[in-house]
Amino acid sequence: MDDVPLCRMDELPPNGARGFDPLGEGRDALFIVRRGDTLRAYRNRCPHWPGAPMAWRKDGYLSPDGGHIVCYAHGARFDIDTGDCVQGPCPGQSLQSLPLIRRADGLLLVPRDALDLRTAS
Amino acid sequence: MNIVGLDALVFGVDDVADCARYLIDYGLTPVDVGPEGGRFEGLDGTAILLARRDDPSLPPPLPTASTLRKTIYGVADAATLDAIAAELGRDRAVRWLADGSLETVDDLGFALGFRVTTPRPLSFTAEAANAPGVSAQRPVNALGVDTNAPPPKPRSLSHVVYFVPDVAKAEAFYADRLGFVTTDRFTKVGPFMRPAGCRDHHTLFMIQTPPFLQGCEHFTFHMGGPTEVLAAGRRMVELGYQSFWGPGRHIFGSNWFWYFNSPFGCHVEYDADMDHHDAEWVAREAEAGADSSQVFLFQARELWFPSGPPPAKTA
Ligand code: FES
Ligand SMILES: [Fe+2]
Repeated sequence: MDDVPLCRMDELPPNGARGFDPLGEGRDALFIVRRGDTLRAYRNRCPHWPGAPMAWRKDGYLSPDGGHIVCYAHGARFDIDTGDCVQGPCPGQSLQSLPLIRRADGLLLVPRDALDLRTAS
Repeated sequence: MNIVGLDALVFGVDDVADCARYLIDYGLTPVDVGPEGGRFEGLDGTAILLARRDDPSLPPPLPTASTLRKTIYGVADAATLDAIAAELGRDRAVRWLADGSLETVDDLGFALGFRVTTPRPLSFTAEAANAPGVSAQRPVNALGVDTNAPPPKPRSLSHVVYFVPDVAKAEAFYADRLGFVTTDRFTKVGPFMRPAGCRDHHTLFMIQTPPFLQGCEHFTFHMGGPTEVLAAGRRMVELGYQSFWGPGRHIFGSNWFWYFNSPFGCHVEYDADMDHHDAEWVAREAEAGADSSQVFLFQARELWFPSGPPPAKTA
């Protein structure tokens, strides 16, 4: 299984989020939240509504204070570390997290089988 | 009750600058806008009013994440305003504000305002389509597409959609106390309603949800026609905003639609060409679902030119 390159670590905002469309589907399939050296990757699909994209604009996945992931469809809030819904329409549900591979040269990749883009939506 | 339609929606948010930018990009005109918020008008003066979440002049928020703080209806005259004050004053507090408007709440806790409405009369044409079998709608040599025209602007606040915890109670309030009419209904989901002084298929649609979701699902302005919905929506995509649903065309109401995510935590829609109804209309009912909520649905893609000579190699 080949891994799908996303970007280099230094191309992520130091404290923020960025979305990726690695297979050119026309919308972001996943996003990464970086806080300092800590990374989390989640599928861009809100558990509230199957297939719903979450950002309000390109890379707009976080609350204004940067403290939560927000689905800007209906305002669900998620813990950045766990992906658990902490407020809003989908209590008890979680974002689907994705494993990230961090190469020594700084390149970030996601395993293609984890991404499983074609069957995931 | 001669309520003529929505006059304004009031939102209280954390990120005034992001929301202001969004409303301007959506096409509304800022009026008296500063760091604390302000007024964002459609062409007829109906508006979104933006304020900070902690602005003390706003009615209290719902006990949910909703940022909608008040729905303000326009009424025809002072007599209607007095009639609403008398009717709702029977069982709840009704306040007269300094600007002459009324403020109160509905039976679910949504804050309501009423004011004598002053929408600017619009004198535009709707989108004109030439078609075989009808006399030409556009004069000869008049173009349907003008690439130099400025981006289309939202004309008038069209409708608001609520998530409500008790849709039967909510429908009864708007029908029995304020004279709204149900035009159509999704079974076990909720009614499309219009006030008596408005012919639009709906200015209010309500969706039954659990209580923790109560709030605004979306709001919409009317555009001049389907081309304007598509052009304005494509511009939003180009500006980096996230399309949520559309473009497509609804069945109930027949309105063209395109929904976007927004920093308000609700959707913001463009619509056009909604059906008009009067007292002769008999409400329909359908199970809610993909088949009943749209006649077709498309998804934006990048512009493409699959013709002419092959693109030059750039190696
Ligand atoms: S789809 Fe994400 S909150 Fe509703
Ligand atoms: Fe709508």
